Amino acid sequence: MTSLLEGLHLFFSYGGRGVLHDVTIEVQQGQFTIILGKNGSGKSTLLRIMAGLLKPDGGTLQVMGRDLNDLSLTERAKIIGYLPQFHRPIFPFSVEDVVLTGRASYVNLIPGHEDRRIVLRALERVGIIHLRLRPFTELSGGEQQLVMIARVLAQEPKIVLLDEPTAHLDFVNQAHVLRLIREFADSELAVVAVLHDPNIAFLYGDRFIFLKEGQVESWSSSQKPWDTEVLQKVYGPELRSIPYQDRALVVPIIDSK
Amino acid sequence: MQPRLALFLIYLIPVPLLIGSLFIGPADTVSTKEVLAWLTGPWFAPTPSAVLDSGLVRTIIWDVRLPRVILAFLVGAALSGSGTALQALFRNPLVDPYLLGLSSGSAFGAALALATSWMPLQVSAFSFGMAAVGASYFLARTRKSVTVISLILSGIIVSGIFTSLLTIVQFLTDPFRLQTIVHWTMGNLHNASWAKLNSSAPGTLAGLVWLLLFRWRMNVLALGDEETRAVGLNPEHQKLLVLIPATLAASASVAVAGVIGLVGLVVPHMTRMLIGPDNTRTLPASLALGGSFLLLVDDCSRVAASFEVPIGIFTTLIGGPFFIFLLRRSRVGWEI
Repeated sequence: MTSLLEGLHLFFSYGGRGVLHDVTIEVQQGQFTIILGKNGSGKSTLLRIMAGLLKPDGGTLQVMGRDLNDLSLTERAKIIGYLPQFHRPIFPFSVEDVVLTGRASYVNLIPGHEDRRIVLRALERVGIIHLRLRPFTELSGGEQQLVMIARVLAQEPKIVLLDEPTAHLDFVNQAHVLRLIREFADSELAVVAVLHDPNIAFLYGDRFIFLKEGQVESWSSSQKPWDTEVLQKVYGPELRSIPYQDRALVVPIIDSK
Repeated sequence: MQPRLALFLIYLIPVPLLIGSLFIGPADTVSTKEVLAWLTGPWFAPTPSAVLDSGLVRTIIWDVRLPRVILAFLVGAALSGSGTALQALFRNPLVDPYLLGLSSGSAFGAALALATSWMPLQVSAFSFGMAAVGASYFLARTRKSVTVISLILSGIIVSGIFTSLLTIVQFLTDPFRLQTIVHWTMGNLHNASWAKLNSSAPGTLAGLVWLLLFRWRMNVLALGDEETRAVGLNPEHQKLLVLIPATLAASASVAVAGVIGLVGLVVPHMTRMLIGPDNTRTLPASLALGGSFLLLVDDCSRVAASFEVPIGIFTTLIGGPFFIFLLRRSRVGWEI
């Protein structure tokens, strides 16, 4: 297992408030790492630091053995694909045109045939090749998210960072997107995602990073992070886990009358 | 209409329009036959050469109509190309080339030159136009980045300041010069000449070629700052790479033709309605369509009245209702 991204002793504060305090993380090839924690625990901040979009106040980030700061934006984009939190563009670009923008770090001024071929392959892999000529703005939320994921793939990265890829999706689409992301990890990409829902995270992830009060605890799936005691430490006392296959589901404790 | 057909028509229209516009002018001065003879003259001469050599025909067509036709086309192309680029940059379909204070800056520069003769009119209009946009940009810049909202706000403020300065100049100047200033601000293609064309064309063409080269980057920028950075481009650099040529082209046009409204807003919309939002196709098409549009409007203004109505008024009178008609009957090419 090769480690593609390493963050050592990361500190970050925002407006005088400490968000990350001496955080050390490691992202490995072929693994699906999931960052969990409550709202405001710094999940997205950590991901944005890993993507190079925010500079940490302290600590170092190494990407494939090189310091992240030494990489140009273009070099970085060829290694790290980052999916920001969801937003809608104003202009109804076709799906193909949206995905094509993922090629920006390879394209000089105007994309060529090779770029378009890679775009079609990305659309095929995500399973939305039939949508390629549709206006992006007319798609459903789930379809739009798949388009943005195809855009990350068109970038041909080694590491994929996803900020709440399932945030606005319904139940079925959540499962679809996560199965897809699971496949990326199985095909030797390093995948990191910020997720809200521990249930869906436990079903698909390999490694879990819990953020609490600016510090992290990292668990691999073999360590069973879904045990009630671990969860109660992160989310509070009102949770219980229920075994499901070799993993578990998390539910809030309700009063039984 | 099929986008492919639309694209074909958009590129075809300018040819007959450019030639046809040479025939248009105050009716009895030069007859259609004479224009035709002059145009075909070099190749075969059915008309006695005496008529052609009369000098009058040559002067009217070569020195009056031709520069005007070319200038109208160029200015239309510059305004709509600049508008298309800035709409992508601002991710906002309501943006036009004047948003960042270009029009009021240029108008103030022109008024200052007309009132005080401190420097040549076009140079002054051009410099103040560029300066106004530059001021908007730097006022909006905080912590090395420029957000769309802060740019729009500073654009409004800079526009307001230059409009006030313009009013002061107008207030202090004598009535005769005041009239010239007011005429200038309404657009003035009727003073077109080779000299004006020569002073405007280099800036306009340089800006447009630059925009054409970077047209695909506008697609990337149109998706958002963070999305742009994520695929490996620095959004701040890319914004400047679009803002500078867009301002250069529009500023060079405004300096010679005055403030011509609506073209830079309406034509980008028309182009997107016809062939979609992809800037690799929309930008070049908007140049052809914008040039044709302004030329056609200028033709109308020459035919409609026996005296010259400033072109800026005509673009609004003709373009406004037409635009509303389009908006009401078709998909507009953007969503809120």
